Amino acid sequence: MRHRKRCLQPHVSEKAYEVVHLDELDRFPVDDEGLLWRPVRRRLGITAFGTNAYTAEQGTERVVEEHSEEGGHEELYFVASGRATFVLGDEEVDAPAGTFIHAEPGTKRGAVATEPKTTILAIGAKPGVPHEISAWEEIFVAFGHYRNGDETKAREHLTAFVAANDDRWQGHYNLACLEALTKNRDEAIEELRRAIELDPAAKKYAANDSDFDWMRDDPEFPA
Amino acid sequence: MSGSAHISDLAVTFPTGSSWAMVRTNFGIESFGVNAYIVDEAGKDVIGEHDELGEDSGRHEELYFVSNGHASFTVNGDEIDAPMGTFVFVRDPAAKRRAVAREPGTTVLVVGGRPSEAFTPSPWERNAEGLVHFGNEDYEQAVETYERLLAETPGNAGFLYNLACAESRLGRKAEALSHLREAIETDAQYAANAPADPDLEAIRDEPEFSAITGQAGTAGAGS
Repeated sequence: MRHRKRCLQPHVSEKAYEVVHLDELDRFPVDDEGLLWRPVRRRLGITAFGTNAYTAEQGTERVVEEHSEEGGHEELYFVASGRATFVLGDEEVDAPAGTFIHAEPGTKRGAVATEPKTTILAIGAKPGVPHEISAWEEIFVAFGHYRNGDETKAREHLTAFVAANDDRWQGHYNLACLEALTKNRDEAIEELRRAIELDPAAKKYAANDSDFDWMRDDPEFPA
Repeated sequence: MSGSAHISDLAVTFPTGSSWAMVRTNFGIESFGVNAYIVDEAGKDVIGEHDELGEDSGRHEELYFVSNGHASFTVNGDEIDAPMGTFVFVRDPAAKRRAVAREPGTTVLVVGGRPSEAFTPSPWERNAEGLVHFGNEDYEQAVETYERLLAETPGNAGFLYNLACAESRLGRKAEALSHLREAIETDAQYAANAPADPDLEAIRDEPEFSAITGQAGTAGAGS
């Protein structure tokens, strides 16, 4: 699975306010290091900035994916409970509950929990421009369903995303990943071809993506 | 710049026992507003009643997160029980919102921004430059700061109100009453704050005080 940032149109509710408790947020596992995504912005319909939470139940899991946001969001992390070790640029930061970590665009950031029941709140937006909702949220939802064992919901979600964003390679690429993971050879090849047509960079990503390992020797595999 | 800090190191405590962690200004965050408010006793306002329409407000949509303790929110007259871990998202800038602590140490993180627009700090946040001197009880410095801010932005009601507070603390009754009058004439919201504001204790029994504050309205804190 691979995600790239692009924007989605926000759904704007008429309600003056919304309330939700952390315990009521969805729980979507999104990688092999235990990163458990709890969508906040998506649940509440926030449009002016991105907001997500990540929870580690055991206390050894990743709570912030290591990334740099080159040219992208500045991010503020808040350790809502537990404790985590952050990487921030070249430094390692011990962050007990109540710690804020601010990362400017381009600064490497990531975190691993060091106590059970650690929850990190992440707030982000790009300086100087109106906030655009990141497309990866919807892709995370689809793969969250898949990792939670609901292949049907995952496919429905991703197919709807692709239908609404047919000209974007990211949707086709991630649908190809899902089809590959669920051993649907023909559909995987078709979606990957479409992704590569839309952006040849998808070929490079597919060449290193373990989701496609079992079909890499297929003569029709396009990457 | 990128960096980290614990909320307890950012919080400035005022003589009222309430603390304000100026998170955005501390880290130089440019793409959303973020502050945290802490109160030492149950029953105190952790978020003063306000809307986001006043001249000093950012017209933000605001996300409140109860990171410690327990609060009771009121939004447009609706009561919301908000234990630690609760998110309250107020989408409508016109909605009146307030939060009262139900436990000592209750802490509310506030994040705000204006939908579809690049972030600019709320005008009231410039008050922070002077408010830090209230935390240190250095009222001479507070007066100097607000006089400078008023030279830059003449007639700003928030600056006038806080100048009145600092002058009251210094026993300069005539100046305090004059600036309080000017603040309330500019923005009637400050009339509701004044009677219970401990900074104005020195002028509360002056006959002019009740004449000045005999108007309705409120002011409060935000993102």
